[in-house]
Amino acid sequence: MNAFLQLLNRAKHFASPILLCLVTAAAVSAQTPLRERLKASPFKIAYESYFNDNWEIFVMNADGSAPVNLTHTPNEQEHYPQVSPDGTKICFSVDQGEGRDAVRSLYVMDVDGRNRRKLVDHAREPFWSPDSKVIGYLPQEYPKFSVTDYYTDGMSFYDLTTGKITPHPNNAKLHHLYNPYYAPNGKWIVSTVHAGMGFSHAILLIEAHGDKIINLQIPGCRPSLSPDGKQIAWGAGDHEIAAAPINLDAETPVVGKWRVRIKDKELEIYHVRWSPDSRLLTFSRGPASKGDVSKPGTFSGPCEMVGVYAAGWNLCAVSAEHDGEVDLDTATAAEFMMLTTNGSSNKQPVWFVPRRKAGE
Amino acid sequence: MRWILLFMLVASIACEKRASDTGPFEIVTRSGVEMVYLPGGEFPMGSDQGEPDEKPVHKVKLSAFLMDKYEVTHEMFAKVQLPDPSHWPDNPKNPVERVRWRDAKQYCNERSLLEGLKLCYNEKTADWDCDYTANGYRLPTEAEWEYAARAGSDGPYDFGGPEKLRQYAWFGENADQKTHPVGQKKPNGWGIYDLYGNVSEWCEDVYDPAYYQTSPAADPHGPPNSGKDVKRVMRGGNWKSSVGQCRATARRGERTGDSDACFSTDYTGLRCVRRVTMEELQQLQTKPK
Repeated sequence: MNAFLQLLNRAKHFASPILLCLVTAAAVSAQTPLRERLKASPFKIAYESYFNDNWEIFVMNADGSAPVNLTHTPNEQEHYPQVSPDGTKICFSVDQGEGRDAVRSLYVMDVDGRNRRKLVDHAREPFWSPDSKVIGYLPQEYPKFSVTDYYTDGMSFYDLTTGKITPHPNNAKLHHLYNPYYAPNGKWIVSTVHAGMGFSHAILLIEAHGDKIINLQIPGCRPSLSPDGKQIAWGAGDHEIAAAPINLDAETPVVGKWRVRIKDKELEIYHVRWSPDSRLLTFSRGPASKGDVSKPGTFSGPCEMVGVYAAGWNLCAVSAEHDGEVDLDTATAAEFMMLTTNGSSNKQPVWFVPRRKAGE
Repeated sequence: MRWILLFMLVASIACEKRASDTGPFEIVTRSGVEMVYLPGGEFPMGSDQGEPDEKPVHKVKLSAFLMDKYEVTHEMFAKVQLPDPSHWPDNPKNPVERVRWRDAKQYCNERSLLEGLKLCYNEKTADWDCDYTANGYRLPTEAEWEYAARAGSDGPYDFGGPEKLRQYAWFGENADQKTHPVGQKKPNGWGIYDLYGNVSEWCEDVYDPAYYQTSPAADPHGPPNSGKDVKRVMRGGNWKSSVGQCRATARRGERTGDSDACFSTDYTGLRCVRRVTMEELQQLQTKPK
């Protein structure tokens, strides 16, 4: 607390009232337990969880309270929820059937779970355009099912208004991508590639409406861009999530100096996403495993993959407001909190501010 | 008609005699893959001159089996519609690499399905347990791999001394740090290519450096899976191996990569084996090459 008061005293001598407010807010953020901040927050988090022998999509408050099952479908396996930037809809993937005969399809529903409808079969890893009118996705490489995350060939866009599907202009060159994410300025799609497009493994910026492809030269996978368009976060390894500045308006964006490094010596940390105010991160955390094929609707593979049961995995939130390293074993309550504790294969969290469409 | 029946009988007997009494010979499978029939036999497994895990030399008796003439290539992986994880996918005749142990087993099952064979691997068990009585494709046991590589010889290479290795293998001294199309070097004495180099090959067995001290004498399948960090046997040299690592008796254990989404050891490939009845063998031999 002393450090907090000293910071306020120092700020008074030179700061304008606005700056003082910002400094005060930052200082309060630095001291306030994350749980209290999130409890007061309007944000919610959508995620996938394995519940009663079935994958479902849940929504909970930002502090992890009041989880609600949005799907309730014992014969269908829902995962990979992605909330539209306007906060009105969720698109997600659904597996039906077992083993190599399973079919993965993409669906969309309102953010409260109503008006569910199928968009396309043999497709995966949907992502929203910034205007919330188009859903991008990755067509499956072959019709036969594989749980492998990079089992994709090309990239397509589904227009929710017209129902028209359009391939990416550089479609023929896009191969083995996974975890794509649209830049808020609409110029780029950031994605991981594995064993494709001449890359062994890389995180790429793909021009949304052109053929430019930029290797961001950062190790790891599953990138996410902050809603303010100024930062990138990604899994830099099985046990590290990093965040760094990026200028997405530049002709050739580059990743700046790594600003935040979240580390966990024991557990794996994956699936990072930014909060709507671009200040916090949420991600999945749990022990490495290769799944549990005795569980219906699940597959064998690295447990961070969609459709692989991840025993003991939970969701977390971390403040990304201050530069430096956050060791999850020693992090303070102001830096880090667990959002779920049931370990029921909770993965793929995404923040959102729930809104209803005009007129509803 | 009687003459035709008599001819068929004689041909059938001759064929059966060939399979059981003669040396290895080639067949083509229903899906067009070239394999080599290896009759059952007994051989001295291990080496007293090698690393500690190669000792002691012990006699092993094996049942007959078919082994792929070449390492599994990109075009073979594509044929069963599996995502190819390789670092060098450009030439369809190059061997697949960066293959996790479980992906290798999945390839075997997919190829079995393609040919209507009984699956060896139970995909609903944690380790994808192997049914050795099934006639489908599977990874070789460590003993089967060494039996095939030694091709009836006693030395570390079936072709003689290490000075000839360049003729038989892509390895660290001649591979230019990459894989090469399969079948470009000389085959071993039983007509199998790239056993000594190009990519190393997954086997079914759990790796235990002390296994040879207790290994059963007939059709050994390796020790039981003892826990979480188990390694599986990988055999044969690869594009980055030293001369010594390419020896037919050299053993190695590798982590399977099953829980690693970014598995990236770009020297790990596979070739398949399967058991075969005389009846099946006769049908396969009638397929055109």
